Amino acid sequence: MKAFELVEPATIDDAIALLDAGDPGVRAVAGGSALVPMMKARLFQPTRLVSLRRIGGALRGIHAGDGGLRIGALATLTELEHSTRVRDAAPVMSRALRTLSNVRIRNVATLGGHLAHGDPHMDLPPILLTLGARVRVAGRGGERWIDINDLFLGYYQTAVAAGELITEVHVSAQPHDARTWYEKFTALSADDWPTVGAAVWYRTAGDRIGEARVAVSAATERPVRIAAAEQILTGAAPSAETFGAAADAAAAAVDPLADIRGSAAYKREMVRVHVRRALEKAR
Amino acid sequence: MGSLDFARGREVGRSLGRLEAAAKVDGTVEYIHNLRLPGMLHGRIHRSSIPHGRIVRIDTSAALAVAGVHAVVTADDVARLVPDPYYGPAFHDQPILATGKVRHVGEPVAVVLADNPHAAEEAADLVAVEYEPLEAVFDEVAAAAPDAPVLHDELRPAGMFTDLKHLAGRRDTNVALDARLRSGDVEQAFAEAEHVFEHTFRTGKVMHAAFEPMVTVAEPHAAGGLTIHTASQSPSFVRSEISRLLGWPENRVRVRTAFLGGGFGAKLYIKLEAMAAVCALLARRPVRIALSMDEQFYTITKHGATVRIKTGVARDGRMTARQVETFWNGGAYADIGPRVTQKSGFSAAGPYDIEHVALDNYAVYTNEPPAGALRGFGISQLVWAYERQADVIARTLGIDPLEFRRRNALRNGRPHATGTVVVGMEVDAVLDRLAEAMAWDKPFDRGTGTIRRGRGIGIGVKACVSPTTSTAAVHIYGDGSCAVHCSTVDMGQGSDTTMAQIAAEVLGIPTTDVRVVHPDTDVTPYDMATLGSRSTFHMGNAVRRAAEDARAQIERMAPGATSFRDAMLARFAMQAGTVVGFGSYAPSYQKPDPETGLSANITPFWMLGGAGAEVEVDTETGRITVTKLVNVADVGRAINPASVERQLTGAAIMQLGFTLFEEMVFSDGQVLNASLADYKIPGFLDVPRELTGTFVEAPHPEGPFGAKGVGETGIFSPSPAIANALYDATGVMLYDMPLTPERVLRAIREAGGRPLEQA
Repeated sequence: MKAFELVEPATIDDAIALLDAGDPGVRAVAGGSALVPMMKARLFQPTRLVSLRRIGGALRGIHAGDGGLRIGALATLTELEHSTRVRDAAPVMSRALRTLSNVRIRNVATLGGHLAHGDPHMDLPPILLTLGARVRVAGRGGERWIDINDLFLGYYQTAVAAGELITEVHVSAQPHDARTWYEKFTALSADDWPTVGAAVWYRTAGDRIGEARVAVSAATERPVRIAAAEQILTGAAPSAETFGAAADAAAAAVDPLADIRGSAAYKREMVRVHVRRALEKAR
Repeated sequence: MGSLDFARGREVGRSLGRLEAAAKVDGTVEYIHNLRLPGMLHGRIHRSSIPHGRIVRIDTSAALAVAGVHAVVTADDVARLVPDPYYGPAFHDQPILATGKVRHVGEPVAVVLADNPHAAEEAADLVAVEYEPLEAVFDEVAAAAPDAPVLHDELRPAGMFTDLKHLAGRRDTNVALDARLRSGDVEQAFAEAEHVFEHTFRTGKVMHAAFEPMVTVAEPHAAGGLTIHTASQSPSFVRSEISRLLGWPENRVRVRTAFLGGGFGAKLYIKLEAMAAVCALLARRPVRIALSMDEQFYTITKHGATVRIKTGVARDGRMTARQVETFWNGGAYADIGPRVTQKSGFSAAGPYDIEHVALDNYAVYTNEPPAGALRGFGISQLVWAYERQADVIARTLGIDPLEFRRRNALRNGRPHATGTVVVGMEVDAVLDRLAEAMAWDKPFDRGTGTIRRGRGIGIGVKACVSPTTSTAAVHIYGDGSCAVHCSTVDMGQGSDTTMAQIAAEVLGIPTTDVRVVHPDTDVTPYDMATLGSRSTFHMGNAVRRAAEDARAQIERMAPGATSFRDAMLARFAMQAGTVVGFGSYAPSYQKPDPETGLSANITPFWMLGGAGAEVEVDTETGRITVTKLVNVADVGRAINPASVERQLTGAAIMQLGFTLFEEMVFSDGQVLNASLADYKIPGFLDVPRELTGTFVEAPHPEGPFGAKGVGETGIFSPSPAIANALYDATGVMLYDMPLTPERVLRAIREAGGRPLEQA
C-alpha cells in the first residue's frame, strides 16, 4: 500500500470540496468495510481518502414520519438493525439486517456506503427496490434526489457521480396492508455473501393482488426489479399457482453470472425457488 | 509424617482451565506476529504468476528504485550463501527462492527488503520476471501418467527417512513415492466373494486458515550465529535444516517460538525460516517476513486425493478383501507428502478385520501449491472413501450400517492389515457410545415435503506416526518452584496445560504452580515436532519421566523434607541451586518390509474416531443443514476431559467446513478464491444445533497415565457421517467433497429424472 492523504472534514461541504471528480484515486470512506479490503487486495490505490467519520448531525439520524423513514447516510447497519423506527416502518429491513454479513461489519458499515458501493451482493438494495426509496445526493453543483430504481447501473456502478456523496436515504411510507419478505440464500457458509437475494412486496385488493414488486440481487450483475414477475402477480389471486408462475418468470428474466458459488443454471434455479418462497412467506 | 506428599490422582483427569487463558483474553500473550526488533527490515515476496516455466530474466531495477527499499534478493543471491539451496523433510526439492524455473503459481521468486512493509509491498509488485512457459499438469492421476510433463529432473530424498533412499536419482517421473501393502491374496478373495463393490472417491484441496498467518523474524548475530523467531510447530527440525543449509553446526542456530495462533499442520518443517535466515544474513540486519492470509493459499494445502476402492464381501456381510489405489496430489514440492502417502496410506483398510488387503499409494507432483500436513494427515481422505462405501455395502445387503461395522470390527489381539497385532483400540466401545449418542435404535423422523431428514455414521482409524522422539526437562529451582522445559508448541490445543498437569501429578503439586517454558532450542531439549496427535503420548511420557527423575533426585538429596523448598534449603543451605530431571521417550518400532509393507510393530498407538450426523436436506436448493454432529474418540485416558471435548468439537466444526463448502478453486494453477472473502470457513451460524464431543476411556498400556493423542481424531469421520446422512435422507450418492448445494441439487434432480441443465 502506497502512502496516501487521509483527510477528515467536519462538514459535508468541506467533504465535497475535498473530493475531486477528475481523480479516481480520491474517494470518500465511511465504515471502510468495502473500500479497505479493496485497498488491501491492491484493487484500489487511493491518492486521497476523504473520511466522513467526523461529520455528524443530519447524516447520522434515523427519523420516522408520515412520509416514511429518513435515514442519514452515515447511520451504521447496527443502528438500523436495532432501530425501533425501522422495525415499525419496515420490519423486512430489520430482519435482513440480523444476518447481513456479521456483527463486526454491521458495527462500522453505513447505509450510504452500502448503497454507493454498487456491489450486487448487498442485502438492502433489493429490499429498498421493493419498498420504494430515493437517495439524496450532494455535490459541488448542489443537491439532487435519485430514485432507488435509477441508482444501480451495473456491476459496482451507481448513478452517484464522482465528486458526489449520498447524504440521506428516504424509504417510502408503507401502506398498512403491504406484505413484504426478503429471502436470502447462501451456498457456502451461513455468513457468506448471498448467492441469491429475493425481495417481494405486494398489496391485495379483495381476493386479488393489487400491486406487486419483485427484486432479485446477487445472482445478477446488479439488483433488479423483475417486471415480468410483477405483471403476473398484479390482478391475480395470491395462490401457489400465481407465485409459482411469477417465480418462473423471474427465473426466465434473469441473466445470472456463474462463479464459485454456482453455475448460471443453478443460480437461475435458485432465483425461481427463492422468489417463490419470498412470495409465500410475505406478511 | 515427615516426607514429601506425592499423592496421586489430583491433577490428571481434571478439567482444568488453560494456564494462559487470562493472558489470551487480555491480549498480553506472546505471539511472534507481534515481535519487532531494532533495525528490522520487512521482507515481501514476489511470487510466480505462472504454474510452470523457466525463468529467463529477473529485473529488479524498478523495485530497487522505491524509496525505503534496501535490497531485492533472488536465487543468485541465495546461491552466494547456500550453494545447494534445496530443502524439505522428505525430499530436498524446494528451493529457498525459485532457481532456474518455477513450478507453481505463487512460488516465491524474489524477496524485497525494505524499511517498512508498505515500501516492500509496493516494490514486490515492481519486480519484473520474464518466463518461458512450460506445459503444466494439475490433476494427480494425469500427473502420474508416463507422458505427463515432469516437474523435477531427479528425485532427491532427504537423509532423514531411510526408507526413501531407494528413490534417489530416479528421473522422468512425478511419482515421488509409491508405497504398497500386500496382505493375503486379494485377487483370489475377490473371485470368491459374494459381492464386490468398486467406487472412486475424490476430495479437493483445502487450506488450514490458521488465524495467525505464517511469520518468521531472523536475527543475525555479529559473532556469527543466528536466532530465528518463528511461528513454527517444529523448532527442532528448523534448527537442523537451517544448519544443514548453511553448513553450520546446530549450536549456532537458535530457534524459538511463542504461542501460535493455530497451526493445524501448516507451520511444520521449513516455511519462511530459510528465506528469512538468508535475507537476514545477506542484509546483516533482522528481517521479518509475515504472510497475509491470502498468501497462505499458495504456501501449503491439504492433499486433494483420488481414491479407487474395491471391496469384496461374503454372504454374511463380512468384508473379505479390499484393494485401494490412492493418488495424492502433492503439488509442486513434496513437503511431508510422502509421509502422508505411506503413513496414512497403510490404514486404508480402516478399523476392520479384513483378511486380504492390497494398498497402493502414489505421492504425485503437480503444478499446484505444495500439499503437506493438515490435521489428520491424509486419514480423512481415506475415511471419506471407505466409510461412504461401507454404507453402500450395508444398504445393498440390507444390513443396518451400525451392525455392518460391528460385524467387521477389528478387535484387540487381531492383526491389522500391516501385520501389527492391535492393542488398545476400542472399536466396539466407540460404536456403542455412538449408538447411544445418536439414539440409533429409536425411530427417526425423515421429514416431509422439501425438507428431508437423514442420519449417518462413520468410523476411522489412524496409526500414530512412528518412530519419533521427545525429550523434556523438569527444573526445580532454589525456592522449590518448578518449570517444565519442552519443545512442544502450544498452538491452541492446550499442550502447556496438559504437560503441566502431568508434571504436577508426578510432583504432587498444583498444576497452576508449574511453569511451562516455551520452545527455544538453546533452552528446551529436542522434540520431533508438534504434529500428528503425538505430543500427549510422546512428550507426555518424556515429561512424566523427567518429573519422576527430579522427584527421585530430591528424595535422595533430602530424605524427610516436607517440601521442595525445604529440600533445596537442606541441600544448598540457602535459596540456591537447581535440580534438573530429564526424561526421554521413543517408542519401539519395526520398519515395514519394503515389498509387502508389513511390520510387526508399525505404531505405538491407534487413534480411533467415530462420528454421527443428523441432517436436513433442502431438496429444492441442495443445501444441507447439519442439525446434530457427534464425535466419539477412543482416548485411552483423558488427562483433561474438557480439553479433549473441545478438541473433538473443534475438529468437528473444521471438518464440517471441509465437508460442506470449503474448497480451493483452481484455474490453470491460479487459486480463484484465495481470500477469506471467497474461501469461506464455518462461522457460528454454521455450528450444528447439537454438537457433542465425547470419549471412551481404556487406559493404554504405554500412554502417560494411559493417555493417547486426540488432536486429529475428531477430523476422521464427520465427512462420511454427513454424506451417509444425506444418502439416508435422499438416496443420493455423492463421491466428491465438498457437498456443495449445487452438487447435491444436481444429484437429487438427476435421481428424480429432472436434471438441471449444465453450465
